[in-house]
Amino acid sequence: MSEPLLSVEGLAVHFASRGRLFGPSAPPVKAVNDVSFTIEEGRTFGLVGESGSGKSTVARAILQLVDVHAGTIRLEGEDVTKVERKDELEFRKRVQAVLQDPFSSLNQVHQTRTIVGDGITRHYGTKGAERDEMVRKLLESVGLTADYLDRYPYEMSGGQRQRVSIARALGVGPKLIIADEATSALDVSIQSQVINVLQDIQRDDGVAFLFIAHDLEVVSHLSHDVGVMYLGYLVEQGSSTAVYESPAHPYTEMLISSIPVPNPIEQATRRELRKTFINAEPPSPANLPSGCPFENRCPVAMDICREEMPAPTPAHGGGSVRCHLHTSGPELGGESVVEFIKTSASGAIGV
Amino acid sequence: MSEVTTETETSPKPDSPRRRFWKRMFRNPLALFSLVWFAILVVSWVWPELLATHDPFKQDVTLQRLFEGPSGDHWLGTDGLGRDHYSRVIFGAGFAFRSIIIAMSIAVGIGVPVGLFSGWRGGRIDRAIMWVNDVLFSLPIILLAMAVIIILTPSLTNAMIGVGIAMATRFVRLTRGVTLAEKEELYVDAARITGISVPRTLARYIAPNLLSSLIVQAAIISGAVILIGATLSFLGIGASLDDPDWGVMLNRARPDFRREGVWQIVPSGGALVLTVLAFNLLGDSIRDAIGRDASSNALTISKRVDIEPTDRPHRDGALLSVRTIDVEFPTPQGDPVQILNGVSFAVMPGETLGIVGESGSGKSMTMLSALGLTPAPGRLTRGSVQFDGRDVTSISEREWQKIRGKDIGFIFQEPIAVLNPALKVGRQLMEPLLLHTDMNKSQARERAIELLAEVKVPDPGRRIDQYPHEFSGGMAQRVGIAMSLACNPKLLIADEPTTALDVTVQGQILDLLMEIQETHDTSIIVITHDLGVIAEVADRVIVMYGGQGVEGGSVEDIFLRPRHPYTRALLETMPQNHESGDDRLKVIGGVVPAPTDWPVGCRFAPRCAAATEICHTDLPSLEVIGAGVTVRCHHWEDLQSSLVDSWDEVER
Amino acid sequence: MAKYIGFRLLATIPLVFAVLVVTFLISVAMEANGSIAAQVCGEGATPECIGAVEAELGLNDPIIERFFDWFSSVLRGDLGSSLLDRNTSVGELIGERIWPTLSIVGFSLLIGVTLGMLLGVVAAIRPGGLLDRVISVGAAGVIAAPGFIIGMLLSWGIAVELGWLDPVGYVSLSESFTGWLKSITLPAIALSLPTLAIVQRQLRGSMANALQSRYVLAARARGVGRTKLISRHALPNALVPTVTVIGFRAAAAIGLTTAVEIVFGIRGMGEMLVSAIVNRNVTVLQGGMIVVGLVVAFVNLLVDISYGYLNPKVRLDR
Repeated sequence: MSEPLLSVEGLAVHFASRGRLFGPSAPPVKAVNDVSFTIEEGRTFGLVGESGSGKSTVARAILQLVDVHAGTIRLEGEDVTKVERKDELEFRKRVQAVLQDPFSSLNQVHQTRTIVGDGITRHYGTKGAERDEMVRKLLESVGLTADYLDRYPYEMSGGQRQRVSIARALGVGPKLIIADEATSALDVSIQSQVINVLQDIQRDDGVAFLFIAHDLEVVSHLSHDVGVMYLGYLVEQGSSTAVYESPAHPYTEMLISSIPVPNPIEQATRRELRKTFINAEPPSPANLPSGCPFENRCPVAMDICREEMPAPTPAHGGGSVRCHLHTSGPELGGESVVEFIKTSASGAIGV
Repeated sequence: MSEVTTETETSPKPDSPRRRFWKRMFRNPLALFSLVWFAILVVSWVWPELLATHDPFKQDVTLQRLFEGPSGDHWLGTDGLGRDHYSRVIFGAGFAFRSIIIAMSIAVGIGVPVGLFSGWRGGRIDRAIMWVNDVLFSLPIILLAMAVIIILTPSLTNAMIGVGIAMATRFVRLTRGVTLAEKEELYVDAARITGISVPRTLARYIAPNLLSSLIVQAAIISGAVILIGATLSFLGIGASLDDPDWGVMLNRARPDFRREGVWQIVPSGGALVLTVLAFNLLGDSIRDAIGRDASSNALTISKRVDIEPTDRPHRDGALLSVRTIDVEFPTPQGDPVQILNGVSFAVMPGETLGIVGESGSGKSMTMLSALGLTPAPGRLTRGSVQFDGRDVTSISEREWQKIRGKDIGFIFQEPIAVLNPALKVGRQLMEPLLLHTDMNKSQARERAIELLAEVKVPDPGRRIDQYPHEFSGGMAQRVGIAMSLACNPKLLIADEPTTALDVTVQGQILDLLMEIQETHDTSIIVITHDLGVIAEVADRVIVMYGGQGVEGGSVEDIFLRPRHPYTRALLETMPQNHESGDDRLKVIGGVVPAPTDWPVGCRFAPRCAAATEICHTDLPSLEVIGAGVTVRCHHWEDLQSSLVDSWDEVER
Repeated sequence: MAKYIGFRLLATIPLVFAVLVVTFLISVAMEANGSIAAQVCGEGATPECIGAVEAELGLNDPIIERFFDWFSSVLRGDLGSSLLDRNTSVGELIGERIWPTLSIVGFSLLIGVTLGMLLGVVAAIRPGGLLDRVISVGAAGVIAAPGFIIGMLLSWGIAVELGWLDPVGYVSLSESFTGWLKSITLPAIALSLPTLAIVQRQLRGSMANALQSRYVLAARARGVGRTKLISRHALPNALVPTVTVIGFRAAAAIGLTTAVEIVFGIRGMGEMLVSAIVNRNVTVLQGGMIVVGLVVAFVNLLVDISYGYLNPKVRLDR
């Protein structure tokens, strides 16, 4: 098999907490710990997790916006963990991003023409009418008419701004676009428009996506492969259908059962499943336990879970999972954890 | 080319900020005053001979015309040496401008680059620079100026060098603050990701955003510079004691004004005060013209107007019944804009009603308005509200205070923001108890601890003495729920109670709400944009779009037999309802319209695949088509016969 | 809280040190700009005068040595003697002059802060209302008027024309309390008006913000009445930025009082500093700066402490 487009290995990002003038400084916040995954050309890898899971930090590390503590990031086989300043432009040409908040990710003082065109000028030197023509075509490909060329961000709705963001990323001609919560701030009826634009772009231009969101439904719809993050760890990854249909990690199962479905009958069964999980606060990323960080909310936690963090082991469908259930105790061997939780949790609670 | 949905309609462009800025400036009489005053000052500075009537230095050697009042010859009188006040005041403008130019070029020239550097670099260097800056900042400006003057010998220029250095600290703070804030903005990341270089980012991205606050601050500081310059000249350590500087004129008048009359200080003092005032007003009006309007707050009780009654009867036995309410907001253009139009709903005892809609649909406004909390300047103009068998449409704020918190509990979005950061959680929890029951403080405290335990906050006895910032979002929302439950209300209103929370925490909060309902038999209204949340908790549902209820019915009606095209389309766009095999989601084209440009006909018509001519011209009325089942659509009957599957065809 | 105050107290030490360094640098800079001794002694200076000044300032020693000599004598409380009158110690001079200044500044802050806060709250209750607009226009006018002009108007109107108070002079507290109060009333009012206006504007602004916040809306939804919404919910939060502004204003008032003192013919720090500058009497100016620096450090400490009291987030109680 040829070199993947992006490969992340053992990535860790730590943030030093702000020291005080007097007294000892607090321990660093371990935002990302030992995260590994790959993205093939023209494919979409979805990263899902709740706030504080470190999913956006992974994106920021790849984008050179935060310093990497450990691990390597490779783009087309080339080490891009820390890109030299002289190589930065070349790197940026290949990796672009669409960021979360459509309000603050566009500069209020510039028109669409400039917002999208700046990158084209920077990377290809194109200017003037020629550049405008390119911008117009880009806008068309994200579903905006030429009217939007001379609009300021405040003259557009959230969905329109996000399309402009996509056009800006696309203009540079990247191989990988990192979409960090790109649809989260949008209304339901607008969200699907933007998701479709992303899919069309992939089909037409063959660009790969790292799609990051907290909504597993959206992520699994859009992605070929999915990774689930919890408190800085990639606890499970695999093909989108495998992870969504038969999760191998109890946290994935908790996440799925927590998403309310717009169907009162289905939702009633989900609710029962959701209730098997323990009602506790997740630990703080500044003070992670030595064992599995999900242990205090896990209905099927064992003694070993309190002591050591499980290593990634293979899961069914070609994925991997970090959970002791697959190697110790019941030894599920990478299979779905759903039935096991249902039977043992109801027994344990003793309804 | 790909077949993506294209924004066919271009929504109208609002005023550009630049236009709006000048409009606001020219409508503001105070801004006009300062602009006119500056015009006069500039002429006096550039061409004083044009305005002056006398030589400002010419003394009256005859000693006949000293300390005079205004006259035809000397418009503003003469000073103790017989010099013409008016001409000296005119020439004084030059000194004022010279002061500003010297001090401001030093202040801005040092302050802005240092601030930019410090803010952009951040970290330890930033902290060191800011520490030194803050030390200088906290010393009196006059004293710093005095230090420079004693080093360099007294003169206006030297005084202004000192003032400039002192004022630089103000610009360091401002620039650094803006840079630090802007640096965190996503568009700076976006610029970096695009490959834009740092100097270019600073110049093209940060600087324009800095400019507006810099101009405001520069105007106000210029006023302060003149004021301090005049003070130093008055003390005799600024401008030379013969110069026609305003401060010097006041210095010269000092020994004699008590004897010779207060007029001696009026021309120079007046010119000084008006100039400083003009600078301050200029700064203020620029800020007002840029910023948003802050003319209302949570205290402003919206004006009572005659409320047009409704002929729709209230639902029998309902705990809360709202009938055809309209809410209007005045606009600067004149015509008020209607935010809500004919919204009706009712909640029965022990029932959960879901109100669902996208942003701008009016769902939160509906609740606030029904309960007398219409945010000013909005007004309830039509309709009727009945709570617990009593007409509350136009009861006074005082009567509402007895109901809110006691019979009706509110749960808000953003749980941290609704807790007062300065007060301990316990004190806030006890508040409704002390207000609405006859408990004393220790009883209320005990009950507050019980309440925290009831909403499953661990260790309630300790948590009650903590401040809101010590709570996570999920825990804070539990506190919010405890607070709304305090007096065992008959009705709980939860406005987006889980939107700000993580999805796993959301589940826990929803479970808690449902438990409360079971144990207390409370009625609950849940307002949300999330159809999934509605499906989970609601018994009955109202769907809102464009300030109107478009469909209402039982939760099964809405989710399994949706009648309105909007409800159907909304359900179909969700990835959860996506049929596998086709990789594209269903979409609703276009944008959610703003209240100012709601279409004349059906408000959903421009985005509706089933719209016909009548939909664009006539607003459909809300039809009652069954017990508690309503729909607002011209074509609901035709659409119902064509089952959900055929929606596809309608779309194409 | 005690720990927090302790930390704040420690943090003032570097501030005071910085003020001392800046103060010391004045004499270094003066020297770089020409011989201090010649300037102080004036034209036709006698060698004795020059010698005395050079000895007083230790001008012939290396800078570092001079700094430590000066620094250690300042720490012992010895601020040197006046360059014009070798028998007057700067410490004594300041000890004499500081009381009128502190009286005026203190009294003016009392008036300005109390009334400013009152009017700030009143204006914030109904933003854009008649009362708010009247107060705002008044405040804008007062901010534009320097204290010494207001002082001149008061001195002429209240004292000369109406004859209610004496137009000039200062009566010390030890002589008579009422005399003291009367003598500082007009200067304090003159100095307090800009303070009042600044505090009013700040509090109005931060009250307006607080009243627009979600927590006030939430409190209103719990049935909390108007008075409590203002006093218990909005005010504590609005006071946080206001206290900072009061601190800056206190420092500014110490500087601005110089001109007011001169209007009222009061021999305080102001008059002392001005004549020190005119005569290039650097030791007196340095002494004045140190004392003002100490006062400012003290004010900052008070601000920090009340900040910690008002804003639970900054307290280090864990």
